[in-house]
Amino acid sequence: MRAAWMLTALAVLALPVAAQAQDVAAAEALIKKSGCMKCHSVSAKKEGPSFKETAAKYKGKPDAQGALFKHLTTNPKIKVDGNEEMHDSLKTKNEAEIKNAIAYILSR
Amino acid sequence: MGWWSNLRQRCQTCSRVTLGAGVILGTLAIAFVMLTAGAYGLAWTNTEEFCIGCHEMRDNVYAEFKGTIHDKNRSGVRAICANCHVPHEPVALIVRKMQASFEVWGHLTGKIDTKEKFAKHRYEMAVKEWTRMKKNGSQECRNCHHFEAMEPEKQTEKARARHAKAQAQGTPCIDCHFGIAHNEPDGPGPQELKIAN
Repeated sequence: MRAAWMLTALAVLALPVAAQAQDVAAAEALIKKSGCMKCHSVSAKKEGPSFKETAAKYKGKPDAQGALFKHLTTNPKIKVDGNEEMHDSLKTKNEAEIKNAIAYILSR
Repeated sequence: MGWWSNLRQRCQTCSRVTLGAGVILGTLAIAFVMLTAGAYGLAWTNTEEFCIGCHEMRDNVYAEFKGTIHDKNRSGVRAICANCHVPHEPVALIVRKMQASFEVWGHLTGKIDTKEKFAKHRYEMAVKEWTRMKKNGSQECRNCHHFEAMEPEKQTEKARARHAKAQAQGTPCIDCHFGIAHNEPDGPGPQELKIAN
């Protein structure tokens, strides 16, 4: 019984950590594979905002995850140089992989 | 002309013409050897083996370069260190080699001899190279990549639009194509660099 309690306590404690945990290498690989770095950079200015800019924009906003999830999976229309373009999606259907990449971007 | 009379005294049986021809031929031979040795030496400092002869390059930037498109690709054409980092034009080449000799000082004094030290100086080194590539219109990229030879219809729609704009405005390649062979340093990129011409 005591063991069961301890396990439950451990699981509860581990939850927030699990939500934030990210596999940086996997995120970077997916981002690279999806061609994100063609328009974005981690910290430098390119056609699109840097990941640091995005992280700063969404800092403290509860809907950050959801907003980015939509942005990276539904090909929304964006403006580049005054022209309308379709934003590319991450090249995976795996939700965990997408969330991992989002956590990576938001923690830059 | 002390040396000339000295020479004539040493070889009194030689005619003036023979001696003169000997001096000219000798000078030419020495010049030839020096030029060949110089060209050979310069070419040697452009090889991959030379560049990764020091661990600062081998363990950092070279390790990052391995596996990138300029190292390994379907056609097997490679761009090694010197292709991107050493100008091909004679004067610019010598100027860059002279600057590089100061970098040897950095190697001897251990300026970037640990991962941490390298990381600390990465941004400043990247900015130096970005500045050079911005000032010369990314000449080293354009030694192989020519706007005129590109087939826009084989590019994605986005790439086509960006390249057309870059060509029209004379944007250097490095403004967008940075951090492609080495890890991107933390900080503002080439587009944010203010370059005084």
